Amino acid sequence: MASPENAELAASGPGRAGRSLWADALRRLRRDRIAVLCFAVILVYVVIAIVSPLLFPRWSDEHDYDNINLAPSGRHWLGTDALGRSVFQKTLLGANTSLTVAFMANVIAVPLGMVLGALAGYYAGWVDDLIVWLYTTLASIPGIILLVAIRFAFKEVVLFEDSFFKMDLDEGMAGVYLALGVMSWIGTCRLVRAEVMKIRELDYVLAARAIGTRGIVTLFRHVFPNVLHIGIIQFSLGFVGAIKAEVMLSFLGLGVGTGVPSWGRMINAARMELVVGRWWQLTSAVAAMFFLILALNIFGDRLRDAFDPRLRTA
Amino acid sequence: MNRDGAILTVRDLRTHFFTQEGVVKAVDGIGFAIAPKQTFALVGESGCGKSVTALSIMRLVPHPPGRIVAGEIVLSGKSLLDLTQRQMRDVRGGQVAMIFQEPMTSLNPVFTIGNQIVEAVRLHQKLSRRGARELAIETLADVGIPDPARRFREYPHQLSGGMRQRAMIAMALSCDPTLLIADEPTTALDVTIQAQILELLKRLQGRRGLSILLITHDLAVVAETADAVAVMYASKLVELADVRTLFGKPLHPYTHGLFRSLPRLGQERKRLETIPGSVPNPLAFPSGCKFHPRCPVGRDLPRCQGQEPQLREVAADHWAACWECPGYAEAKPTDPARPMPYRRADDDPAK
Repeated sequence: MASPENAELAASGPGRAGRSLWADALRRLRRDRIAVLCFAVILVYVVIAIVSPLLFPRWSDEHDYDNINLAPSGRHWLGTDALGRSVFQKTLLGANTSLTVAFMANVIAVPLGMVLGALAGYYAGWVDDLIVWLYTTLASIPGIILLVAIRFAFKEVVLFEDSFFKMDLDEGMAGVYLALGVMSWIGTCRLVRAEVMKIRELDYVLAARAIGTRGIVTLFRHVFPNVLHIGIIQFSLGFVGAIKAEVMLSFLGLGVGTGVPSWGRMINAARMELVVGRWWQLTSAVAAMFFLILALNIFGDRLRDAFDPRLRTA
Repeated sequence: MNRDGAILTVRDLRTHFFTQEGVVKAVDGIGFAIAPKQTFALVGESGCGKSVTALSIMRLVPHPPGRIVAGEIVLSGKSLLDLTQRQMRDVRGGQVAMIFQEPMTSLNPVFTIGNQIVEAVRLHQKLSRRGARELAIETLADVGIPDPARRFREYPHQLSGGMRQRAMIAMALSCDPTLLIADEPTTALDVTIQAQILELLKRLQGRRGLSILLITHDLAVVAETADAVAVMYASKLVELADVRTLFGKPLHPYTHGLFRSLPRLGQERKRLETIPGSVPNPLAFPSGCKFHPRCPVGRDLPRCQGQEPQLREVAADHWAACWECPGYAEAKPTDPARPMPYRRADDDPAK
């Protein structure tokens, strides 16, 4: 049979068998040099975030009152802060705080937004009304005010004290990422809801129902995988938002406690320092943030391009 | 065998959509029956209620706003409208399967073809993963997909339209249904592939003893595959007969119109005839016979404008709903939900 179908089949070759849309997107991403470069930068930050607490476990207690506020030198690469601690180490440790908060905030926000969005989009009716009501209410409150309110509500709250899962909602990072997490699912929820509403009407969903799949299974097995890419993209973009939000909260004194090194706290400290010419804390924190956020932003964009079916080429 | 030897009997089915603008009576009292191994075609323009009829049989009418408000659907002696959701899920895919118009969108892009068939199989049969896989590959081969073991591992976007429709048919047939609902299965395909798919359906029907409810607006497809035909207009059946009778001696002016709007071989080239006007708005159907504003016969007749004709058996096994068609006045409104005698009974089961 020399039908056009067979010709196409022959041309495609055995290598094409079984390549999913995901594999396709990943392949496109791997070919994108800028995306790979940005991913490498992000990886470097991740490694620093993981390794730095192991390298400098006692940093916050290493007060050295003979060497406070030193400018960068051979001995102190990025100078010292008001307590004589290394700003270089502080900057590296700040990556840990930023990435932990951003990661955890998105681990909370993205699945929450996706599940709520999927339920709202699929079931319509009162489920949709309820979820839409919930997020429009939340969205109508200025984010920063709500964040501040939540942070004040967390004052001196410590969960699971004396256990491995101890969560210091006041001084530790947990309070920051919880607050950010419960606030930043709205965008994901909206996107997923709209996409699910679109997919719900497609024939393959009806086909799934027509072979006897039950409703909730249809949603999570047949519809959900088709919106998963939104989760990934939102995760990467939400990361940037969370990093900035942590810095902002810490700058305002509503972020992590004094014992936790943070870029936001470094910038806060610079308020007093800059007038007397101590520029190194601010510069280090801003530079560290700049490259991370730049890399994350570009990577997020490229990720979206790779997953966008409209930009697909054969 | 149930009381009248039909696989599927639909009686006085009414499916309405309760929208903000008003009640849309998408299907309003239709009845027909499909005999075993028969292909029953439901023909009509877009929006006449064909697809809603199919969804009603599957009990998959989107709710809200749609609801089956009255009627009876009996499949192999089982009244589908009385089943629980759970029992209905066993029927779907088990006894009735469905294939769709658009093979591009009727397969899930994130799963392999095999994955989707295996899932359908395992919903209805107690088979191991391996057993289901074997059955799936077997079914893929059965629907004429070359190299089924490889296609099994491929994703829908790697298949051509015709191949996808074959895969869809394989998925529908994997659980050996007794009735296949084909909702415009060839509309989105080009003509050569159309012929292949229709040929395939016919072959599978002969071999598996399948009954097919074919929904289409393509009279050529009907002529080629159907045994019995119902013509639907504005939520109701206007004519019902076996395919030869309907093509040889159509009675309803709407059916006439459909035939006249077909191009004919050997005919001098001129503009194709059309049926004047358009499909009526389902929120405001015309009074009397719903077809009368477009009807060349009854446009100005007071009875057509004032009173709606019901389906009557104007000749043996030939129903029509038109005041003006010959024999209507004397005919009896017998129950149209009676299987047609069909001509292709033993045509080619061997193939």
